[in-house]
Amino acid sequence: MSVANAPGRLRDWLVAGSPLLLALALGVFPLLTLFVESIGPGLGSENYAAVLSPLYRGALLYSIGVGVGVTAVCLAVAYPITYWIAHRCPDRYRLVALVSVTLPLWLNYVVLNYAWVWILARGGVVNRILVGTGLLDSSLDLLYNNISMTIGFVYIYLPYVVLTMYVSMERLDYQLIEAARDLGASDIRVFFDIVLPRTLPGAVAATLIVYARIAGAFATPEILGSPGNVMIARLVVQAFRQYTNYGFAAALSFVFLLLVLGTLGLGALSPRVRRELRQW
Amino acid sequence: MVSRVTRLAERGAGRLPGIVVALALVFLYTPVLIIAYLSLSPAGQPTIPIDGFSLRWYTAVLTDTRFIRALLTSLGIGVVTAICGTALGLAGAYVIVRSHLSQIARRSIAVIIALPLFVPTVVVAFGIGRASALVGLGYGYLPVILGHLFWVLPFTTFLIAARYAELDDRLSAAAHDLGADDRTVFRTITIPLLWPALTASVLFAFALSFNEFLITFFLAGSSVTTVPLEIFGKVRIGATAFLNAASVLVIVVSAVAAGVASTLRRPV
Repeated sequence: MSVANAPGRLRDWLVAGSPLLLALALGVFPLLTLFVESIGPGLGSENYAAVLSPLYRGALLYSIGVGVGVTAVCLAVAYPITYWIAHRCPDRYRLVALVSVTLPLWLNYVVLNYAWVWILARGGVVNRILVGTGLLDSSLDLLYNNISMTIGFVYIYLPYVVLTMYVSMERLDYQLIEAARDLGASDIRVFFDIVLPRTLPGAVAATLIVYARIAGAFATPEILGSPGNVMIARLVVQAFRQYTNYGFAAALSFVFLLLVLGTLGLGALSPRVRRELRQW
Repeated sequence: MVSRVTRLAERGAGRLPGIVVALALVFLYTPVLIIAYLSLSPAGQPTIPIDGFSLRWYTAVLTDTRFIRALLTSLGIGVVTAICGTALGLAGAYVIVRSHLSQIARRSIAVIIALPLFVPTVVVAFGIGRASALVGLGYGYLPVILGHLFWVLPFTTFLIAARYAELDDRLSAAAHDLGADDRTVFRTITIPLLWPALTASVLFAFALSFNEFLITFFLAGSSVTTVPLEIFGKVRIGATAFLNAASVLVIVVSAVAAGVASTLRRPV
């Protein structure tokens, strides 16, 4: 059925046509458009020179830093969660636990982030509890800074990371952990020598899914972040909304895209990750 | 003594995952519960504890023509995206899992379909906005729906592909041996076996589209408003009782989709 099946192959290309056309027309063609705009008008690199000026370099680095940092926090939290659900949770509660932890995936992230405004504001829930119980004399500024933004990001993306990592964690043979324990390994040794290497594919997949979206996020920094810390998405949106400077915004998008793919590639350089990726 | 301390410490570390799960559940659900609680307050700027129960903000939301129009727009776009996105996802899944194409062709197709996952959304959204203006499509319903389809395609494709890969080849082979042509096999064997995955895909694609913000933000133009755009616009003005009630309604719509989906299949 595989060697010479010309009519079957033709039909398969026809079936492939519709999703492929959509992905090419809305994924690849817009990127080409942006690239052409970024070097115009007339072939030139002024737009790129402007992007690399110190003013925008800061925003680029900040976006990448937020992407890396928040992804790391999500992974650090997702490890114990998926480990517990896959290996500690009693069988009949496992599905309920998994569904409960991943349910927010279905909800609206603008709404979810908005909910945190009520919790972290000066007169919000956390401050009322801290002041009310006498732990603090006056309210803390918890809102509109890197902490509130990180909370907002983790809140949205943790379910994605948990769901992606769970598959690897479930495949991890618990007997390996027991064997290591019997041989006297500490929890930390067990984690670094057994759990981490065997669940790396899940962690890599989760990173692929959330990292680019965090680094390029717009709504969460607008709702919960500090107005002074500018991420790339805001600059692109501003340029787009003001109907000016498309060339500059396009160059900015392109440099940002390269940085995102570059940092992902940097992760893939690690031999362990590369070994995992090859198996895909 | 020392050994007892280490043993206690180890037992502590052994309990750590369970504690993290409990904290995560509190972390995930407290905000939603607080919004639901605040939405019942009669005050325009509710405080905790709320002074009395009232549904007046729900009435306000449901009689607000702007919000209702946005809600209907979101539901409409969501339904179209869910159905078309699942059909395209089925085609994509078939090509990736079962087609006669070469390994390289199938891999490349999978990577192209997965593009919206690892390219920052703001870059794709901006690109689609510019490309749409360039080809004369402009802004409005059609670009938004196309953008949503593009966004949900990797999710529907890989969700269906996972189930497709599990199907037993021998069933369709047997049907072929009994004289069924490709179309009959597809209609009577493949589709019924894929049904749970297809339904899950429709529901998830609906939720993704219903909640999508950034692509819509770039492609909607001035004439189209969806619920996430409407809420985002109001959040920037300030947190209010109206927003709380609207948020709860939005959460209920997607939670219903999630609830139906979770009765259909295992989530992984």
